[in-house]
Amino acid sequence: MRNIMRALLATLASALLLSGPVAATPAKEAPWLPEAAAYRLTLFLGNLEPLPWDDIKTAWTEPYRGSEFSVGALAWLDRKSDIEPDGLLNAMMREDRQAVFAEATRLIALRIEENLDRALAAEESATAQLAVQTARELYRAFEDGIAAADPEAARRIGLAWLELNSSTGSAGVLGAGATSADRDTMEAARAVISGYLAENYLLDSFAPRRTLSALPETAVLSGKAIEVPPSLPPGSDIFDQDPLPLLVLNFEEQGIDETDLPLVAYGDMLFDSAQLFGSPAQDLGIACSTCHNRSDVNQRLFIPGASHQPGAIDVDGAFFNPIFNDRRDDPLDIPSLRGLRFTGPYGRDGRFASLRDFTRNVIVNEFGGNEPTPFMLDALVAYMLEFDFLPNSMLTTDGRLTDTTQEAARRGEEIFNTPFAGLGDRSCASCHVPDANFLDRQAHDIGSVAPGYEGARAGALDTPTLLGTAYTAPYFHDGSLPTLAAVVDWFDETKSLGLTEEDRADLTAYLETVGAADEPYEAFDTENTAFRLAFAELTTFASTIDTLLPRRDAEHILLLTDTVAADLSADASTMSNLPARPEVYALAERLAAVGAAVRVEDWEAAEASWTAFKSEADAIEERAF
Amino acid sequence: MPVHLTRRTILTLVGAGAVSLATPLAAQDVTLRLAFIPQENPDKLLGDIEAITGWLAEEIGVPVEGFVTIDHAAAVEALRNGDADISFMGALPFVLAEAEIGAVPLLSEVYRDAPSYTGRIFVRRDSGIGALADLRGRDIAFADPISESGYLYPLAEFVEAGLIEDPGQAEAFFGRVFFAGGYQQAMQAMAEGLVDAAGASQYADLLLTPQQQAEVTWIAESAPIPSHLVIARPGLDAALRDRFVDAMLRLNEPEHRNKLRYFYGPDGYVRADGAAYDGVRDMARQYGLLR
Repeated sequence: MRNIMRALLATLASALLLSGPVAATPAKEAPWLPEAAAYRLTLFLGNLEPLPWDDIKTAWTEPYRGSEFSVGALAWLDRKSDIEPDGLLNAMMREDRQAVFAEATRLIALRIEENLDRALAAEESATAQLAVQTARELYRAFEDGIAAADPEAARRIGLAWLELNSSTGSAGVLGAGATSADRDTMEAARAVISGYLAENYLLDSFAPRRTLSALPETAVLSGKAIEVPPSLPPGSDIFDQDPLPLLVLNFEEQGIDETDLPLVAYGDMLFDSAQLFGSPAQDLGIACSTCHNRSDVNQRLFIPGASHQPGAIDVDGAFFNPIFNDRRDDPLDIPSLRGLRFTGPYGRDGRFASLRDFTRNVIVNEFGGNEPTPFMLDALVAYMLEFDFLPNSMLTTDGRLTDTTQEAARRGEEIFNTPFAGLGDRSCASCHVPDANFLDRQAHDIGSVAPGYEGARAGALDTPTLLGTAYTAPYFHDGSLPTLAAVVDWFDETKSLGLTEEDRADLTAYLETVGAADEPYEAFDTENTAFRLAFAELTTFASTIDTLLPRRDAEHILLLTDTVAADLSADASTMSNLPARPEVYALAERLAAVGAAVRVEDWEAAEASWTAFKSEADAIEERAF
Repeated sequence: MPVHLTRRTILTLVGAGAVSLATPLAAQDVTLRLAFIPQENPDKLLGDIEAITGWLAEEIGVPVEGFVTIDHAAAVEALRNGDADISFMGALPFVLAEAEIGAVPLLSEVYRDAPSYTGRIFVRRDSGIGALADLRGRDIAFADPISESGYLYPLAEFVEAGLIEDPGQAEAFFGRVFFAGGYQQAMQAMAEGLVDAAGASQYADLLLTPQQQAEVTWIAESAPIPSHLVIARPGLDAALRDRFVDAMLRLNEPEHRNKLRYFYGPDGYVRADGAAYDGVRDMARQYGLLR
């Protein structure tokens, strides 16, 4: 749930814009216009090293991921514009980063101008409004840069867009309510926008850019250090999975309340906290749970330049922590963390024997966070060790199929346990040991990794469990195999197992049975909503204050209040019980007040706010959906 | 100022939907033509229309065509000319179309269990504005002058409160009045501090970022506004009209609910109650839009 908010904040901040006339209902986010999307992708990808030129070219030729437009930016321009993108194409062919930036920037500025021209020339209000809206949507491409560099200009231009739209007049309906355009006001408003574009974006040449951004040229030339808040480009997806995987926590299944396990509850909070990480992950709201939400795999996660397909990410690339950039384009399919205490060593190649070491590496190196305190690492590890596999009543505790399973699966079980010459006289079960959670805690080179150089002996990967895999497609470290059937085919073909078609089907049926679960997903209804789940989680996280306040542990209280107050407030936007939203906002403020008091070491005030929070949370609970 | 149906006003014609072998209605050459108002990405709308017309053709048993008009006015004009049989329509354009060409209400959209919604006046929580009177001399953004929840109804709250004599006097009360082009733009202008208040649908704050949503509140809410609807031209064959309505009502059934996303995203449809739009008729008269 909280990832929904983070995703919104990250991808929509100052980018929410709708086109078209008003409707009776909450409308959807307007999609990025193709050329604006391509521009934003160019800025984002252009800051990666090594620079992914193919991705930049694709950004202009193909619709961005998830686009509602059926064509890419160049085809769109061909349809909608008289502007020739020759300069941009030429710069991309030459793979000249600065020239691509300059040409693309000019192109967007020209497109805004083109639509402003159309608005001014339009004889009908509806046509003028459409052109203004298009120009305004294109302006989104520059908006965060202008807001960061020159808030006063951003305000002036914002008002100019309002003026411009207001002065286009209205056709009314069948003549009723018609008003004519106010040409003078339109011209004046347009002059504000065009003047700024001419000075900052519609230039013959631009100062060299170390970092590509939408900052206006005058700001760059001023030499001032201006930070544009990090954002993800169009096509990114860090939203939660849908349906939401069921989280199985060992203590919970045993009826133990998480509020009685403060270390675990604090770890649960940290797992959901972007505060652990450095920029840009922290600014974007990316937390452990973004990829491993509900201890499982976020199959939809996609960040251009860092993901080669959904559910995969290169955590040692240029984006998250440049100092940790290994300069190798090697995104990994996100692994599930279910049953984590049984699946060590950690990392796809089992390079970390200790979960604690692995976790620190994720925080400090992969995501550029500060050194975590021992308490934080203890809490995170304590929480993650509670992750259990999904219950599967078709399996006995020692990993055999029960009698209720299908005949095909049982035939497959036999094949799974049969030694093959192609596997070195071992069986599938030799590595995926059924009574050891279908793994052997060893790394093997099965030939699935392309060698990085001649003679490389670097292809050994940790044996993954087969439990829960029915819900974690695709498969293999790089997600190259889409289905369990494809995995069977791969082994049959590369290891010359000599399976018949029926054998393959049986073995697949077996894998699907082993990988299945009784209840893989959370079940929601009108009142048991995703928000209710989030509310319960967040108030549980907060309960650790009962332990931390008496210790006067300011550092960890502040990390908690900063995380939970912001998440609670943001989560309220997903409530279906809209009238109760103000109460949730007030509750979030109450928790923030705990933090504010702790910050100034006013422990009495902190205690008072915390007591009030608990009673208000109890009072709201029923309406929290 | 009538709008003539031209190549410019009809932006796109989508091919006929699939024709089923279900009981044909009257003559085989009957084609049902639907006019759509652009609301978002026109590219997506075309895809939606294809899905809608394909499904409706199967359900009704006649070919169904859909096309996008440039605005409500063009859709009403298409109904008048017989270029469209049915159109999706806002409540205000409907009452005007009803008065002008005798348009017939067929279905009302349902949102959150109600075929109605409200308009609200939104402000930033830190603005110190707590009542409509506090907005004297301040700037406000509305969505569009031909919008029930994004202009007429929210502004009427100021009249109701005795702050404005009649809607025509709004400029004298406020500092500046802007029409931002849509709920989203009006709300964003308010949230960013470009204006002091926004008049928009009760759900319009959901268009802001979660962080912005926590920063805004509303200080006035209008009477219920009947929701958008589906209307027909007056001479449309009654049997065909009934089959269309029956098909649309099947969208409320669980197996068809997933298709609602192609229809401007309501939670469902109910048969339209023409009397429910009396308030809109009154409002249109108050604004001088209807005699």
